[in-house]
Amino acid sequence: MKARTRAATILLTPFFLLFTAVMVVPIGYAVWLSLFTEKQSGLGFGGTETVFTGLDNYTAALGDRAFREGFGVLLGYCLFYIPLLLAGALGLALLLDSALARARRFFQLALFLPHAVPGIIAALIWVYLYTPQLSPVVQAMEAGGIGFDFFSPEGALPSIINIALWEWLGYNMVIFYAALQAIDRSVLEAATVDGAGAWRIAFSVKIPLVKASLAMVGLFTVIGSLQLFTEPLILNKGTGSAVTSTWTPNMYAYTAAFDRNDYGLAAAASVLLALTAALLSFAVTRLTGRRKAGTAGTARRERTA
Amino acid sequence: MTRSWSRTSRVIAGTATALAVLTACGGGGDDTANKSNEPVTITFWGWAKGSKDVVDAFNASHTDIQVKFEEIPSGTAGGYAKISNAVKAGNAPDLVSIEYSSLPEFVSSGALQDIGGEFTEADRAKLLPQTVELTTLGGKTWAVPFDAAPQAFFYRKDLFAKYKVEVPTTWDAFRKAAEQVKKADAKARIATFFPDDPTTFEAMAWQAGAQWFKAENDTWKIDTTDAATTKVTAYWQGLLDAGLVHKNASFSPEWTGSLKNGTTIGYLGASWGAGVLKGTLPEQNGKWAVAPMPSWDGKPASGMLGGTSFAVTKDSKRKAAAVTFAEWMSTTEDGVKARIASGTSSAFPAAAALRPVAKKAFDASYYGGQDIYALFEASGASISPNWAWGPTTGTTNTTIKDHFGKIAQGGPGIADAVKAGHDATVAELTKRGLKVEG
Repeated sequence: MKARTRAATILLTPFFLLFTAVMVVPIGYAVWLSLFTEKQSGLGFGGTETVFTGLDNYTAALGDRAFREGFGVLLGYCLFYIPLLLAGALGLALLLDSALARARRFFQLALFLPHAVPGIIAALIWVYLYTPQLSPVVQAMEAGGIGFDFFSPEGALPSIINIALWEWLGYNMVIFYAALQAIDRSVLEAATVDGAGAWRIAFSVKIPLVKASLAMVGLFTVIGSLQLFTEPLILNKGTGSAVTSTWTPNMYAYTAAFDRNDYGLAAAASVLLALTAALLSFAVTRLTGRRKAGTAGTARRERTA
Repeated sequence: MTRSWSRTSRVIAGTATALAVLTACGGGGDDTANKSNEPVTITFWGWAKGSKDVVDAFNASHTDIQVKFEEIPSGTAGGYAKISNAVKAGNAPDLVSIEYSSLPEFVSSGALQDIGGEFTEADRAKLLPQTVELTTLGGKTWAVPFDAAPQAFFYRKDLFAKYKVEVPTTWDAFRKAAEQVKKADAKARIATFFPDDPTTFEAMAWQAGAQWFKAENDTWKIDTTDAATTKVTAYWQGLLDAGLVHKNASFSPEWTGSLKNGTTIGYLGASWGAGVLKGTLPEQNGKWAVAPMPSWDGKPASGMLGGTSFAVTKDSKRKAAAVTFAEWMSTTEDGVKARIASGTSSAFPAAAALRPVAKKAFDASYYGGQDIYALFEASGASISPNWAWGPTTGTTNTTIKDHFGKIAQGGPGIADAVKAGHDATVAELTKRGLKVEG
C-alpha cells in the first residue's frame, strides 16, 4: 500500500507541478490583476499608479454594452452551431457506419482532413472565399442570383459558424463513428431479424446507444464555443467586416488588454467568462448525467420485460 | 483556460526569465559600467521598410555599439501588443518603433523613458517642427522622430488620361473626377474608403483643420463635432452613398487585386505609400504619378498619416546607446540613405537637411522620374500644426474601426462611428482618472 502511494505521488507530481505553474498560478494572478486599475493624473503623461479598485473592473465589464453583446453573440452562435454540428457529425457517422457506405476509409480521411488545418489558416482561407472581388464562391453565387455579403452585420454570424463547422465536423464525426463501431453487432443483427429497416435501426438502436458520446461532444462544444476567438479575430483584423474587436467575450478581453492597455478590465472579463464556462459545464454534466442514469434505468426495465 | 490566461502565464514566464537574466548579468549591461572596449549591444524592434538594411549599415560602421534587430508585426497588426507585453514582462528591447498616433498611449502607460537629456534641443531643431511637437508630451521628449508622413494622392496617369479625367486639386473636383471615372468604367473607382483604418479618415479631418484632442491645463478637451470633422464626415458619407469609392480593407488582397486589374485607379495615402505601391505592383512601372492631396479651398493642406518615431523603453539600461542609434537612423546621411536605398522605402525624413539624400536614394522611375520628394516637401510644410493625439488612441481607433465595419446602406454611417469613438474616448479617459471635457 505504501509503495503504491509513493508510486502515485511520484507519477502525479509532474502533473500537479505543471498544473500549478500553468493553471492555478495564472488564474490566481488574473484574479489579483482584476482587482486593480491603473490611474493617471494631469494629462496622463506622468506615468501610472496602480490602485486597488475592488470589484470596479467587474462592474465596468458588466456595465459595458459591448461585453454583454459578446455573450449575446455567443448565445446566437451556440443556438445554431451546436445543433448543426451534432446533427451533421452524427449524420455523417451513421452514413459511414451503414452498410451502404463505400470507400469508407477514403471518406473518413477526407472528412477529417479540414480539422487538420489550423484554425487561423482555415479562417484565412475562408476570408479569401468570402471576399466578393476574389472569391469564386461569391461570384458563382452572384451568377446564380444569390447576393450575400459575408462581411455584413447579418452575414457575420453565419460566416463564422460556417468556418467552425468545417473545422469541427470531421473531428466529431470520428468520435461518433468510433462509438457506433463499438456497438455490439449482435444487437444490430437482432434488430434486423426483428424486421427493422436501416432508418429504424439508426434512430431506435444506434443513436440511443451512442448518447454518452453525444453528451460528451455537446459539453466540449459548449466550452469550446465560449472561447470563440481565432476565427472572428481574423475576420476582424484583415477585412473591415462587421465583426467588431469585442465581438465575443474572449475578444473583448484581448482588446481590453492589448488595444486599450487595460489589464485589470481584461482580467475581470476573463474571470467572468471562466465563471460562465464553469457554471455551464456544471449544468451540462448534471443534466446529461441524470439523463444517462434515466436511460440506463429504462434499458434495464426493457430487458426484464 | 481562456486565451488571456495563457497569455498571462506567458507574461509570468517572461518576467521570471527576465529576472533570471537580470540577476545573471549583475548590472553588466549598464552604460556607465561599460567603459571597456566591449561594444554595447542594444535590441531594436521595428517593422518599417528597410529597417534591416539600416541596422546592417550601422553595425558595419560602428564598433562601440551593435544593434540586434528583431522584426515585429506593424503596430496595429499586433506590434504594439507585443511591445506592451514585453514592457509589462520586463524583457522589452531597448528601442522600439512607435507611430506618432500611438506615442501618447505608450507614454501614459509608463512604458517609455524621457530622452530629453540625450536627444537635445539642438538635435530637435533640425527636424520638422510638427514632428517634434508630436513627440513632446507633458513638456518632455519621448522619441526621436524619423519621418513625417504628409498626405499624397497617387493615381494611374495612363487611366486618368484614357478616361479624360483631370487630376483634382479640391475635394469638389475630386468628387466630379470620381463620377467621371465611374461613368467611364462602371467597375472602376477613383479611390477606396478603408473601413479597417480610422487613421486615414483622421488624416482627412486633420487636413481640414479638426482638433480632436486638445490639452488645456490639466484637462483633455475632446471635440469631434467641429465644423471640419462634420464637413469631412458628410463628404465621405456622400461618396459612399453614391458608390463613388470602393469600400475595402487597406492593403487587403481585394484592395491589391483591384489595383492590379485597374478597377481602383487612385490611392489617397501618404509619402510612404510611394514605396508601398512600387513594391506591391512592380508590373505597373511607369503608370503611376503622385499629386498633392486635394484640399477644401484649393490651397495646399495636409494632415499626417502614420509616421514613425523611435522610443526607448522604460527599463532599458542602455538609453544613451539606443538614442545614438535612433539619431543615426533619423538624422544622418548614412542612416537615411541605407533605408531608402533598400528600394522599398519612400520615407520622407523629418530632418530637412536629409531630404535631398532621400530624393537621390529613391529610384523614382516608377513614377516616370517625377520629383516626388519636391511634392512631399511642399505637402509636408502644409501639415496643420494644430493636431495632437490623445493618450487613448487605442480605444478611439478600435472603436471607430468597429463601427466603420458596420457601415451599411441606410444603416449606420461614418458620423455614428465618429460619435462612438468620441464617447469611448471620453469614457476611457474618465476611467483612468483624468479630467475630460467633451
